[in-house]
Amino acid sequence: MSHSNPVRRFASRWCGVWSFALLLAAVSVADLRAQSVCLPLPRLLTLVPAGAQKPREGGTTTVEVKVTGEALDGWDAGGETVLPRLLFSHPGLTATPVLSAEGKGEKDRFLVSIASDVPPGLHDARMMTGLGVSSPRVFTVGLHPETLRTAANTTSATAFPLGLGMVCNAQATAQAADYYRLELQQGQRVVVDCAARGIESKLRPVLILADATGADLVAERRGGLLDFTAPATATYLVKLHDLSFQGGPECYYRLLAHDLPAGAPLPERQAAVAPVLAFSWPPPGLPAKAAVEEIEGSDPSAAQQVTLPLDLGGRFFPAADVDSFEFEATAGEVWWIEVASERLAAPTNPAIVVERRLPAPSGGAPATFEDVAELSDIAAPIKPSTNHYAYDGPPYEAGSADCLGRLEIKETGTHRLQIRDLFGGTRDEPEAIYRLLIRKAQPDFALVCWPLHMELRNGDRAALSKPLALRGGGTVSLEVAAIRRDGFDGPIELAVSGLPEGVGATGLRIPAGATRGQILLTAAESPPRNLASVSITGRGTADGEALERPCRLAGQCWPIRDGWSEIPFPRLLADATISAGGSEPSPLTLRTTGAGATAAMALEAVEGSTVSVPLELVQRAGVQGATLQMRVIGPGFDQIPGFEFDVAAPKALAIDLAKLKIPPGDHAFALVTSAVTKYAPVVAGQATPPAPTDIAEILVSTPIHVRVTPALPVSPAAKEATP
Amino acid sequence: MAPYRRDARHSAPSLPLGSTLAGIPPSAARVGRWLLAVMLAILPLAPFAAPALAASIVPPERAVSFTADVVPILTKAGCNMGACHAKAGGGQNGFQLSLLGFQPDEDYDHLLKEARGRRVSTAAPEQSLLLLKATASVPHGGGQRIAPDSDAHRVLLRWIGEGAGLGPEDLPALDKLIVEPAGMTLAPGASQALRAIARHVDGSTRDVTALALYESNDRARAEVDGAGLVTVSSIPGTAAVMVRFQGQVAVATCTVPHGPSLAELPTPRNFIDEHVFERCRAVGVPLSPECDDATFLRRVSLDVTGSIPTAAEAEAFLADSAPDKRERLVDRLLASPGYADWFANKWTALLKNRRDDASDTVSNFAFHSWVRDSLLANKPYDRFVRELLAATGTIVENPPVAWYKRVKEPKDQIEDVAQLFLGVRIGCAQCHHHPFERWSQNDYHGLAAYFSQVGRRSTSTRGEDLIFHKRGVAAAVNPKTSAKISPSALGTPEGPIPADEDPRLRLADWLVRPDNPFFARALVNRYWKHFLGRGLVEPEDDLRDTNPPTNPALLDGLAESFRQSKYDLKRLVRTIVLSRTYQTSAVPLEGNADDLQHFSHFLPRRLPAEVLLDSIDAVTGSSTTFANLPAGTRAIALPDTSYNRSSPFLQVFGRPDGQSVCECERVQSSSLSQSLHLLSAADIKGKLSADGGRADRLSKDNSTDPERIREVFLATFARLPTDAEMAQAVGVIAEPRPSPDGQPLPEPQARRENLEDLLWALLNAKEFLFNH
Repeated sequence: MSHSNPVRRFASRWCGVWSFALLLAAVSVADLRAQSVCLPLPRLLTLVPAGAQKPREGGTTTVEVKVTGEALDGWDAGGETVLPRLLFSHPGLTATPVLSAEGKGEKDRFLVSIASDVPPGLHDARMMTGLGVSSPRVFTVGLHPETLRTAANTTSATAFPLGLGMVCNAQATAQAADYYRLELQQGQRVVVDCAARGIESKLRPVLILADATGADLVAERRGGLLDFTAPATATYLVKLHDLSFQGGPECYYRLLAHDLPAGAPLPERQAAVAPVLAFSWPPPGLPAKAAVEEIEGSDPSAAQQVTLPLDLGGRFFPAADVDSFEFEATAGEVWWIEVASERLAAPTNPAIVVERRLPAPSGGAPATFEDVAELSDIAAPIKPSTNHYAYDGPPYEAGSADCLGRLEIKETGTHRLQIRDLFGGTRDEPEAIYRLLIRKAQPDFALVCWPLHMELRNGDRAALSKPLALRGGGTVSLEVAAIRRDGFDGPIELAVSGLPEGVGATGLRIPAGATRGQILLTAAESPPRNLASVSITGRGTADGEALERPCRLAGQCWPIRDGWSEIPFPRLLADATISAGGSEPSPLTLRTTGAGATAAMALEAVEGSTVSVPLELVQRAGVQGATLQMRVIGPGFDQIPGFEFDVAAPKALAIDLAKLKIPPGDHAFALVTSAVTKYAPVVAGQATPPAPTDIAEILVSTPIHVRVTPALPVSPAAKEATP
Repeated sequence: MAPYRRDARHSAPSLPLGSTLAGIPPSAARVGRWLLAVMLAILPLAPFAAPALAASIVPPERAVSFTADVVPILTKAGCNMGACHAKAGGGQNGFQLSLLGFQPDEDYDHLLKEARGRRVSTAAPEQSLLLLKATASVPHGGGQRIAPDSDAHRVLLRWIGEGAGLGPEDLPALDKLIVEPAGMTLAPGASQALRAIARHVDGSTRDVTALALYESNDRARAEVDGAGLVTVSSIPGTAAVMVRFQGQVAVATCTVPHGPSLAELPTPRNFIDEHVFERCRAVGVPLSPECDDATFLRRVSLDVTGSIPTAAEAEAFLADSAPDKRERLVDRLLASPGYADWFANKWTALLKNRRDDASDTVSNFAFHSWVRDSLLANKPYDRFVRELLAATGTIVENPPVAWYKRVKEPKDQIEDVAQLFLGVRIGCAQCHHHPFERWSQNDYHGLAAYFSQVGRRSTSTRGEDLIFHKRGVAAAVNPKTSAKISPSALGTPEGPIPADEDPRLRLADWLVRPDNPFFARALVNRYWKHFLGRGLVEPEDDLRDTNPPTNPALLDGLAESFRQSKYDLKRLVRTIVLSRTYQTSAVPLEGNADDLQHFSHFLPRRLPAEVLLDSIDAVTGSSTTFANLPAGTRAIALPDTSYNRSSPFLQVFGRPDGQSVCECERVQSSSLSQSLHLLSAADIKGKLSADGGRADRLSKDNSTDPERIREVFLATFARLPTDAEMAQAVGVIAEPRPSPDGQPLPEPQARRENLEDLLWALLNAKEFLFNH
């Protein structure tokens, strides 16, 4: 077609310009991709369906599940291809590959069996692959019958019938709404619940209840329940889409419509994963139900009389609710106050003010109070990173908007505690619950950990999603964060038990008063391919009593490749599974040579001396650059300034123990850097490996052990002789 | 109807956009008028030589007061105007005065204590630089401001001679300015002298006619000179004259009737009609007849839902003979999602829901949805504003927090809140007393104090903070005086707010107090303009004493009705559109053609950009694709302003970019580029000739040509064609068409192209392009 029309000629010219621009853009992207971040790691991304119904007692439910992900291939064992395995965090969940028509097992379809002893809720699924164990994905075991949407339903004409009380598994359609059909009687009430973020989906669900023509009647866009009572007997539509119309396999969901009588309380939500900050709740031994409930009186300014200690359940409702409690306290008493609300998944920001009632003024004037204590957030034990261009800290928020703090009574008398939600001025949300504890000191701690990441500067957040799949010769560091309760100030020793064969663990203690520690997991040079669910713990002593507390493992839900438009979100994992071995060794190993390599053969040094740590970089793949910028992790040793490590000719690291004030005892530390290696994947059955690519990855040394012995006491005479 | 041809799209562009096409855009014209007024205010044209000044304002038995006597003279002479010595950053030639003398203490210091005391010489008063400059006895950039030997000159001379002190300390403070007469009806060309009276707190009065400043808000209708003499032109209508003195303002309205008072008027349907008809009766403006059903259907569909009716809807409505069909139509439209879409489009632009970065996407969608859902559910307006003003949390959990993402500074927060929800432009008072209003800097910072406890914490999303109430006693600081200012809502002191209470909730409480003079009036005036094309106060967000409504009783009545309804927006819309006033024909009568103030006939207006695009899609049976949105998403349902960048159509027709809270950001004027776009742009051609579009479908179905034409007219104009139009259109459709090689096109193809031509012609008709 000729472009005789000037408008079309103009458009044609612009098309040319745009084509050129796109070409340039493509070249630039290709160039940028020449160096990527993070070695290939197995990641289980989707399970379809994402859940199944729990069987009756003694029975078994079997459901076919299709998996997708990254690097989920099996491995070669003596010339025979071994299929990847699908594993779950509960032993009652098992999976076998679906057999094809030829009788061969398929690598991405499994028959999952649920035994009747599997508790309802969320369980982590993982794949054991050629590169080791994958990142987890939650799998729901529910109480309702389940169905799978099988055909496109993006118009009212193709609306999928939604059975009441039945869970429908589906994925959101991009740039469209998914339509579901409901037949309702006049006055019939339905409550629609869409599980999405709570089961790690990228979907931000919008639920719209519409009439049969598709005209909107009620909408719920914040991930809450949609409560609807039919004004007439008719067909209604549930329209479901992402808030910004994203879609695809990663936007999966489980849709459930409850049939409820009018006036019945809202049903319990479908199970959801716990955010990282929930690790510090509840305190050990806390009963599931509060001893006292808040009484919402007719006079909102009236205080509820309580006695200490206190364990109270309440809610920030209605909007701008302020709950007041009055109690008697005696001068010199010390109480600890803890509030959980955000950690109970409520969208709140609680704050507390404790005041003392002043002596009553004459003339019947209203009572006056003076401030005694003010409590707001629980500070993050490790400052999380911003989500800006440089990702310079852990992307995990271990602090909370909840409260935890000390109340010292200065004067005997009546005290008033007011609790309010700093987010609650206009929000009428009955689910804004809280639990208020006022107790005598019970020193304790809670722990959470996550894989340490390298500093990122290119917006690629994929490296943050890390399964604990250790390559031979590799070391992974877990960063541990501690919330200290009720004045607990002692050191916390970190340990891992139940490790897979060929993996060692070294806990780098959390020093007294500190909130950060590390655990180093190191694989042997050629460990057997195996995996294990491990137990990570911290030990301390409070008031002469030994404390041992679990350390929860957190992980990122998705490998996010564009941090500019997608925000990474982490969660607490159901368990900590570690694998060793696999198809590829670690491209680099940074270690000491000789003494210091293990606890049994630690470097020995005298207190106050200088110790020399010989270093060695084992290269199984090339390294880009002549030097690596090292930093040190480990209590006391992390004060060593960063230094340049010569790749070709490593120098021993000289450590001035006097300067660092390292006390006598056994110590461990490690070196951390990021390195760009020439990576070429091992492809089974392929003699010539593919051309290597540059990959930036965090490099953690094997633990370096130092035993510091006390310096000999110096006699007074010798002291005098010293000039 | 003129014959249409496809080639006419290029050769015969009869400009279709009506009388405003070649003129200055209304918004620009408005700004221009305002600027002109300001310039005139700041540069008085003649030296100050008011008669009988000395005797009238400075009684010989008391000393001259600097504040009460000298400053007004300097103000009247224009010395302390924004372009002269009150210019920000040092005034002129190092001599700084406060704007309009609002800070007499500072002015006194500038005059007496700076420039080594040369400005005022008590030893030789005549040699004071103040007088020499003002009289241009020495070179003065501002020329002669005060005539030698004038009364003003004599007062200044006397003041200096008396020692140039501050004057008597016991003079009563100024309480109020009164103008007489406050309202007047004048014959064309007539004049009326105004009298300005200053009333003091002790009840005493003083004639300040010679010292006051005068300004007309409509110089085409009324001129006023420096002595307060108003002269009206021959243009009928009402103008207001603002009178200012010492920070006080008063207003006088003058009306030139259109004709003799009317004896007969239609029967009012509600209180709106009563007020409008009464005003029309008083000024002698006859009312145009009621519009027909087709016009009403199209008008109300556009105004309530931003959409033209479908052919089927039009046909059904025209065939309906029930007497309550207009009421039922309005109820249906208000219950439709289109109402929520259209008004969400309006509000999100005003609330600056713009996309500056990809990371804004989720928050913008969330905010747009919140606004839309609020409208769909008919959330009371006061609750809507409360949730916005006092929003806390994160955007995804509580979408109105998004407003705090776009409006980050407390200064912008109060200025936006004041302009958007109160109709008060308070920005001037940040730096000085508002020149046209009663607002002082303390009023400004008193309002800012409500936002002083807004806490922010950054979130994972770039540029996005979570908002919380920061414990503490709310207060702001007046940067000029360093005084701590407690929350005060435009002259209403709040009283102490406990540290634990979010002060924004108190502001929200004040908004809905029965004695709040702004909140309800601002909204009803905004909505009145939406439906009637002109606000009772213009601009719609500039409600002030000196900018009086054209129909005060109606504005009060609407506001009271809105309050009584508990701020029910749908009920307000229903009340307006079911009035006889709204349903008045746009066809003017001989006696009301030049009336733009009294709503005697409907004021046609060009369809807004989004509505026009959707309407073209509806008529042509095509659709517009917007990036990453579902197919079929209409332009009025776009969640934010980012789509303007990729849509030349939306740009050309002036969809706002969400940069300001002013409705004037939407370009409603017409331009040559708009005409050319409609005539020949590729996207318009594509829509006309779209496969599966209306022309394509009609050319292939079994209907007759008259049936096809009927459908096209119903879809485009919501009416049936006249006999003449039908005859002409049948001729157009049946006409054979040659191919490029001169051979006749096959009949189906010729019919399709003829139908495209017909559609193109109708799309370019004023009847389509305007809501009338």
